[in-house]
Amino acid sequence: MDVSFALTGKGYVLVAADTTAARSIVKMKGDEDKIKSLGPHLLMAYSGEPGDTVNFAEYIERNIRLYQIRNLYPLRPPSAASWIRRSLADSLRSRSPYSVNLLLGGYDTSTYTPHLYWIDYLGTMATVPFAAHGYGSYFALSLLDRYHDPEAPLEEGLATLKRCIDEVSKRLVVAPGKYKVKVVDKDGIREVEL
Amino acid sequence: MVAVPDMDSLVNPQQRQFNPYTENGGTILAIAGADFTVIAGDTRQSEGYSIQTRYAPKVFRLTDKAVLAVNGFAADGNMFVKKVKQRLEWYRHAHAKDMPLRAIARLIQTMLYARRFFPFYVYNILGGIEDDGTGAVYSFDPVGSYERETCRAAGAAQSLVQPFLDNQIYFKNQLAAPGMSHPTHLPLPDVLSIVIDSFTSATERHIEVGDGLEMYVVLAKGRGLGGMEAIGGVQELSERTEGERLFVVRRELKKD
Amino acid sequence: MSIMEYNGGSVIAMVGKNCVAVASDLRLGNQALTVATNFEKVFPITDRIYLGMSGLATDVTTLRETFRYRVNMYTIKEERDIEPEAFAHLVSSTLYERRFGPFFIEPVIAGLSKTSSGAFRPYIAGADLIGCLNFAKDFVVAGTASEKMFGVAEGLWEPDLEPEDLFETISQTLLNSVDRDAYSGWGAIVHVITPEQVITRTLKARMD
Repeated sequence: MDVSFALTGKGYVLVAADTTAARSIVKMKGDEDKIKSLGPHLLMAYSGEPGDTVNFAEYIERNIRLYQIRNLYPLRPPSAASWIRRSLADSLRSRSPYSVNLLLGGYDTSTYTPHLYWIDYLGTMATVPFAAHGYGSYFALSLLDRYHDPEAPLEEGLATLKRCIDEVSKRLVVAPGKYKVKVVDKDGIREVEL
Repeated sequence: MVAVPDMDSLVNPQQRQFNPYTENGGTILAIAGADFTVIAGDTRQSEGYSIQTRYAPKVFRLTDKAVLAVNGFAADGNMFVKKVKQRLEWYRHAHAKDMPLRAIARLIQTMLYARRFFPFYVYNILGGIEDDGTGAVYSFDPVGSYERETCRAAGAAQSLVQPFLDNQIYFKNQLAAPGMSHPTHLPLPDVLSIVIDSFTSATERHIEVGDGLEMYVVLAKGRGLGGMEAIGGVQELSERTEGERLFVVRRELKKD
Repeated sequence: MSIMEYNGGSVIAMVGKNCVAVASDLRLGNQALTVATNFEKVFPITDRIYLGMSGLATDVTTLRETFRYRVNMYTIKEERDIEPEAFAHLVSSTLYERRFGPFFIEPVIAGLSKTSSGAFRPYIAGADLIGCLNFAKDFVVAGTASEKMFGVAEGLWEPDLEPEDLFETISQTLLNSVDRDAYSGWGAIVHVITPEQVITRTLKARMD
């Protein structure tokens, strides 16, 4: 039932994910952070099978960190995305595959460009201007088709994101109540209030 | 010795099903011109990998100005054509004229929908000349949904032929030359070559299509034979020469 | 639900006079939901070989990486570029390695192979998901619109097309086929390989 969105703008990527941790019909927690920082300029929103998600996200987080320690510089978004995708693709054909879907947003500090990747549990990767996972995608993608502008300033990007969240709240029966929104740009990662 | 049913078959529920339908392959196609219509079909009839016959017509003359092509389950198709012909004969006796094409189209819808819950497993394409003298094609689904179109393919090779027709008849994905526009209707010789190309292509790539090709050509009243002279093996089927005229052109298709 | 149709997409290759062309659509979907409209399915292998793959998108990406690695190893060991015939068999054996747990893709190979006289001869091949090669003289197709492409290509293609005519033929074949397929479309990319150069063009298409 997780819902996550992401969109690019002029020099930034916005990533949003709901904050509910549920088991069956019971809401266990209402302030879960499902967006991990994988480096100074890399964000990953994860969703999917409970248990798999955090385990996989932490595995990725530690290995991306290890790369940074070994090489004294972080992986750039395209390389990180390729490696993460490969981890999922290999996992798919292993004895116990991870069921984790990802939105990977990053800012490339050497080319000054924002990057966004849509990755699913099969290891399908797409480079996209905006993306969504979960039931939210059925409502948000059509809105983003209409309103997304890759050259929009942050305020406009946040307004577009709010449209998506509002639409999901209005039309989705099992809509989540709260979202955490993070932005990554040239200054790094920060959380923003909608 | 009398067969004693084993315990298993007595204890467990048994299900038996009779399937009243089969698919007999083949493909049909119709294209309307400004004052003519071509209705075509191959003549192979098959079931699974077996060819039942190399000559089983799928295209039928209804009147001098209406031709019906039927494709799907051959037994249903033949029965359906028989019933349509019967209704058209009753109409002739009652009104002393042939039923107009658009009325035949509506009749076919009614007849198909009458069997909504035990349908004729048949895709119909009706071609001919409207009362206003224009060429027309009507295509139907098995339960009677229909629309008038310029061209339509149906049957086993529909997915091979229809996109080709979109390109060659509707000029889809083609830009007209500057200051020009695409023609809404093509001349008869062009249409006949497109029909022949469609069927030779379908024969090449689809195992259920081949053996023979029958192309029915309906010409509007007073149109003349323009475009028909060059074609060999034409047989006239119309009963009167003063009204609409109906011809059939037969061609061989590959038999492998 | 078939795995081969999970993401949608179509590829095609055609032979011309002293040239070959290979093209794909750009849609990536999750069944009926379109996720991306910039997902290319044709990749350069050498200056004269392109590989198209349709099927499960994760395997398309994985195999692109596998083939890049294996072709690089070949180039280093042999100290020359791989020829299309050898590459086709490399594709075939790579797929057959996974005979009983296959990669869910159908490859399409297009290239120009060098003859002993130094001239170039067009070469295309297709294969099924376990690597059974199909050496066609005219065209090969794969993907969710493959039936449609067979029909249109059989009607439009003719032998010895010049590069520009071949481009038009393959483009019209692909475009008109994907327009009748719900799982393919949203634009296309075409590569025409000639002895002198590779002409790459991105095509706009219907967006429904």
